Amino acid sequence: MTQPFLSIRAVRKTFGAFVAVHDVTIDVPKGEFLTFLGPSGSGKSTTLYAIAGFQDPSSGDVLLEEKSLLSVPSHKRNIGMVFQRYTLFPHLSVAENVAFPLRVRRRPDAEVKRKVADMLALVRLENFADRYPGALSGGQQQRVALARALAYDPPILLMDEPLSALDKKLRQEIQAEIRRIHRETGVTILYVTHDQEEALHLSDRIALFKEGRIEQIGTGEDLYLRPASEFVAGFIGNSNFLPAEHLETAASAATVRLADGSILTGLKATRPFDKGQKVRLMVRPEALSLTPGPASVALAVDIVDTAFFGDRRRVVARTAGGDEIDVRPTSDAAEPADPSASGQRIFFDPASAFLFPA
Amino acid sequence: MLLDYERLGWLRVALVGFTAAVAAFLLLPVVFIVLLSFGSSRWLAFPPPGWTLKWYEQLFADPTWIDAALTSARIAAMAAILAVVIGLFASFALVRGEFRGRQLLRGLLLTPMVLPVVVFAIAIYAFFLRIGLAGTTIGFVIAHTILALPFAIIPITAALEGFDKSIEDAAIVCGASPLQARLKITLPSIRIGIFSAAIFAFLASWDEVVVAIFMASPTLQTLPVKIWGSLRADLSPVVAAASSLLVGLTLCLMIVTALLRRKLSR
Repeated sequence: MTQPFLSIRAVRKTFGAFVAVHDVTIDVPKGEFLTFLGPSGSGKSTTLYAIAGFQDPSSGDVLLEEKSLLSVPSHKRNIGMVFQRYTLFPHLSVAENVAFPLRVRRRPDAEVKRKVADMLALVRLENFADRYPGALSGGQQQRVALARALAYDPPILLMDEPLSALDKKLRQEIQAEIRRIHRETGVTILYVTHDQEEALHLSDRIALFKEGRIEQIGTGEDLYLRPASEFVAGFIGNSNFLPAEHLETAASAATVRLADGSILTGLKATRPFDKGQKVRLMVRPEALSLTPGPASVALAVDIVDTAFFGDRRRVVARTAGGDEIDVRPTSDAAEPADPSASGQRIFFDPASAFLFPA
Repeated sequence: MLLDYERLGWLRVALVGFTAAVAAFLLLPVVFIVLLSFGSSRWLAFPPPGWTLKWYEQLFADPTWIDAALTSARIAAMAAILAVVIGLFASFALVRGEFRGRQLLRGLLLTPMVLPVVVFAIAIYAFFLRIGLAGTTIGFVIAHTILALPFAIIPITAALEGFDKSIEDAAIVCGASPLQARLKITLPSIRIGIFSAAIFAFLASWDEVVVAIFMASPTLQTLPVKIWGSLRADLSPVVAAASSLLVGLTLCLMIVTALLRRKLSR
């Protein structure tokens, strides 16, 4: 493998006795869109700030093209950043905001003018050049902030929850814009969010943070289809968890006993388990169906509720052990004839289910 | 709301009457002074037997009045500039700083506002006598700067607290040094606060009389000191004219402030 473009090496940040970031190590190739995903307080923003230079890590190093960034003050790192809050300079027009980083770099007027026009075209705000930030919507302000952050062609663009103040529809629109801009500019982006849909939509790779550590790093598919832990499975997408007892594992197919005594076999174990060990069985709502498939196993349940959601139905089932299970069959799938009747069964392919330690 | 104006019923009449009475109590003396300055009576009789501008003519013909007004303006301007500069540094420390005794320092810097002025005046007069600053312009400016400082610090800290530091961070990531970011981004962003501070500080010195009496010398008199002195010497309507001008200028400054604030905070 060639040398990574950006290398975060064993970065650790402590605040007194509290360890905010535990030895985080990531290599980022040039042009990648990498998202730091995680709940608040998981250390994702702190890691980003260490790269931006707002917070010096307690130990570890950040290398850009093999040169350490840590000794370089923030304003000389030449990094672009879009913040969670609106940070346009209120007394400057949109064009002057975008020109600001070029002006402090003393670029010639003609270049500044051309670059500002290019950047406003990139974020599709050409007609807003003379407006002031106070006259823009939140979404427009963040697009100007993006134009400003890219105006000086930074090697890395940091984005710290830039869309969290916007409503859902606008968020999706700007996500599409960010994807397009990433494609068109090829800039390396590190993006922080707590919104897993946003992370899946935008990223080449996702680093899922939990309590200052990276729980799993990989593509969205890796995290969704091959979660490394119960936390990952619970954070990315919807999941059902059922308590179970591990009986045996043969040829990587595990057999468990559920709380109601039923035995399921052919399940994927994420690690070796002991006989009799308590485990949690995870299965995605959309992997469950009301009709048996070729390789499926069955669970005996009562149907609690069914609802129609357009492309899918939502069926809430309850096991004899009292655990609620969310089932999301496609809406053209057959419905149970009489949902209130007892003795219903739901089905899933054991290869789509995972066992995690309890 | 429990005390909604719309729901007060007949109490509304009482409230309006009471408010009007308070306003009249505060404003009527000023109105009287202004009216008397145009009255023809030598003895400030009210209502005036006739109207005249001769007190203003006398005022502008007397170089000691003009001199006092210019002295006032000069000292107030210097005190305002100093108070704003010191107030800016102090406000950054009070709002951004993380050090022990920050609240104590804030209290200390605001004490001139609550300390009885006469106590402050005597103290600083005694001190200035000892070090030879009594009766000098420098001494006058220092004393008034101390008095004006709280009026500068309050609006600047308020503006700085309302300014999102992320904006300054954004300027730094954009490549501005911390100093550049503060000069080019933070200061312009809090300019309304700085402007208010300058006006308030100017006015705090402009109409201050107690400390000014102690600081004044026969050759160094501000307008309020001159008014005070003239009142004691002979009660002439010229004093009313001078007072009216003082009130007028103060009013002008307040109106300009209000207009500029509206313009700047678009």
